[in-house]
Amino acid sequence: MNTIRLANIRRSLGFGALLLVVLLAVNLYLNPARFHPAAWGTLIGLAAPLIGAALASTPVILSGRGGIDISVGPLMGFVNAIIIQTLFLKGGVESPFVIVPVALLVGAGIGAINGFLTTIVRIQPIVATLGTYLVLTGITLTIVPAPIGPAPQWIKAFAGPLSIIPLAVIFLAWWLIRRLPYYDLLMAIGSDDRAAYTAGVDVTRVRFAAYVITGVFAGMAGLMLTALIGSADPNIGQTYTLISIAAVALGGVSLAGGRGGLIGAAIGAIDIFLLQSVLTAFNVSTYVLQVAYGAILVAAVVLTAVQERANRRERNA
Amino acid sequence: MVSAITLHARNLVLRPGGQPLNQTIRPGEIVGLAGLDGHGQERFLEVLAGLHTPHAGEVRLERGGQQTVITSFRRAVDNGITYLPRDRRATGIFPTQSVLDNFAISTVGKDARFGILSFRNRRKRYEGFRERLSINAPRPDAPITTLSGGNQQKVLLARALALEPDMLLLNDPTRGVDVATRHVLYDVFRGLAREGMGLVVLSSEIEEILVLCNRVLVFRDFELAAEMSGDAMTTETVIAAMFGRAA
Repeated sequence: MNTIRLANIRRSLGFGALLLVVLLAVNLYLNPARFHPAAWGTLIGLAAPLIGAALASTPVILSGRGGIDISVGPLMGFVNAIIIQTLFLKGGVESPFVIVPVALLVGAGIGAINGFLTTIVRIQPIVATLGTYLVLTGITLTIVPAPIGPAPQWIKAFAGPLSIIPLAVIFLAWWLIRRLPYYDLLMAIGSDDRAAYTAGVDVTRVRFAAYVITGVFAGMAGLMLTALIGSADPNIGQTYTLISIAAVALGGVSLAGGRGGLIGAAIGAIDIFLLQSVLTAFNVSTYVLQVAYGAILVAAVVLTAVQERANRRERNA
Repeated sequence: MVSAITLHARNLVLRPGGQPLNQTIRPGEIVGLAGLDGHGQERFLEVLAGLHTPHAGEVRLERGGQQTVITSFRRAVDNGITYLPRDRRATGIFPTQSVLDNFAISTVGKDARFGILSFRNRRKRYEGFRERLSINAPRPDAPITTLSGGNQQKVLLARALALEPDMLLLNDPTRGVDVATRHVLYDVFRGLAREGMGLVVLSSEIEEILVLCNRVLVFRDFELAAEMSGDAMTTETVIAAMFGRAA
C-alpha cells in the first residue's frame, strides 16, 4: 500500500520538487542573508498570495475537460478592493468576523457564476472565465481607480510569518474535501468524464462545485494579497492569473485534469517565487523574468509529458 | 435485494422511416440483442438506458404498477437501470485510478460514515464482489491498467452491481475477455436473473446469445427483423435474420 502511494506522490511531484531543491540551494548560495532560516517567515509572507492563487486554480483544473479559471487573479483584486474600499474605508467595518466571510462569499459567488457559465450554459471554460476576468478587472477599477489605503491592522498582521495560517486553512479545507465522497467523483470526472457519466456520476454538479471551491480559495487568496500589500490596488490581482497557472503546471497537476493535488501546486508556486529571487539576485530586468517564466512553463509541461510517457511504458511493461 | 421492474418499449422508432417496435423486458429474463454491427441493436440498448432519445416512441419503466418514462440517463440510473458500456478503454475504466477507486466510483456515497469516507468499508464492499466475481487482482490499490482485460471487465461489472440495479443493460460484456472468464460471467448473469433481475445483453457473438439468453431480438437496418426464443433460436436462424433472409 505505502510503496505504491509513495510512488504516486513521487510521480506527481517529480520535477517540481526537484526544481524546488535546486532553486533553494542556489538561492541559499547567492543570498544567504535573505534565505536565512530566520527570514523564512517574511519569505512565506511574500510568496503567500502566489501560493494561494495556485491552490485556488487547482480544483477546476483537476475537474478536467479544459477546466481552467483565469479569473482567479482578478477575483483576488476584486476581493481586495471590496474589503478595503467598500467595507473598511467607506463602510467603516473592521471586524474580521465580517470581512473574512464577505471575502469567501464573494469568492463563492463569482465561482458559482463561472460554474454556471461553464457547466450549465456550457461555454468553454477559458472563454467564460476570460469574460469574468475582464468584467472583474473593470469593476475593480471602478471601485478603486488608484491604489488606496490603509488596511485594518489585523489584516496587515498576516503579512509576515502569520501568512502561513490562511494557507494552512486552505490545506485543511482540502484535507477535509479529500475525505469526502466528492473528491473521488472530482478525480473521476477529471480522469475521464464520459466514463464517469456512464458510471452514473452527476458530472455537471461535481464540476460546478469545483468552480465554487476555486472561488472560495481565491477569496482566501484575496485576503492574503490584502495582507501583503496592506492597501487596495486595482492593478495587482491580474498579474497572478497566468503565473498561478504556470505554477500549477509546474507542480505536476495535469492540465487535462484528474491528476495532481494542492501540494504539487504549492511546490510549483514556491518554485516560481524562488526563480524570481534567483533572477533578481542577478539583477535581470523584469522583462527577462517574463521570458524565464514562459521558458520554465514550457519546459515543465514537456518534462511532465515525457515523465508520464515513461510511467505508462513502465506500467505496460 | 432486486425488486422487479419491467421495461416497455412503446412504438419505438430508432431512425426516421423505420418500423415502430414494441417490446417488453420482464424481470428475470435474459434478452439478447443481435445484428450486424451498426444495425440499430446498440442504439436500441442506448435508448433503453436513456442515453439516446428515440426518433419516436418512448421507453416506460414499470415498478409495482407505477410507470415512469425514461427521458434521460440520469432518470434511468435513479430508477434502478444500470448500463455497462462497450468500449471499456474509452468509456469504462479510469486508467489513472486504482482498482478500488474504479470499483467504487458509482457508489462513493455508500462508503461515507457521517459524511466522511471510510476506506475500510469500501475495501469490505469490494472484497465481497471480488469473491463473487472471482476477480483476479492481487492489489486493490494498484492501477486498474495492471489487470487483464477480463478482470477489468469484472471490476466494471462489480461497479455496476454495487449500484444494486433492478435491470442490467450490457453492451457486449465479454468483448476481449478470455473463455474461462466468460463462463464465470455467464454464471453470474444467470444467478442475477434467478434473483429476478432483468438483463439485456448485446453481443457480437451468436454462440454467446444461444448459451445465455432466453430470447433474442435481431436487428437489421434499425428495425426489429426477428424475435426468436427456445428451439427456434439457432445459429442458422439468427444469421439468416441478421442478413435479412427468411430462414
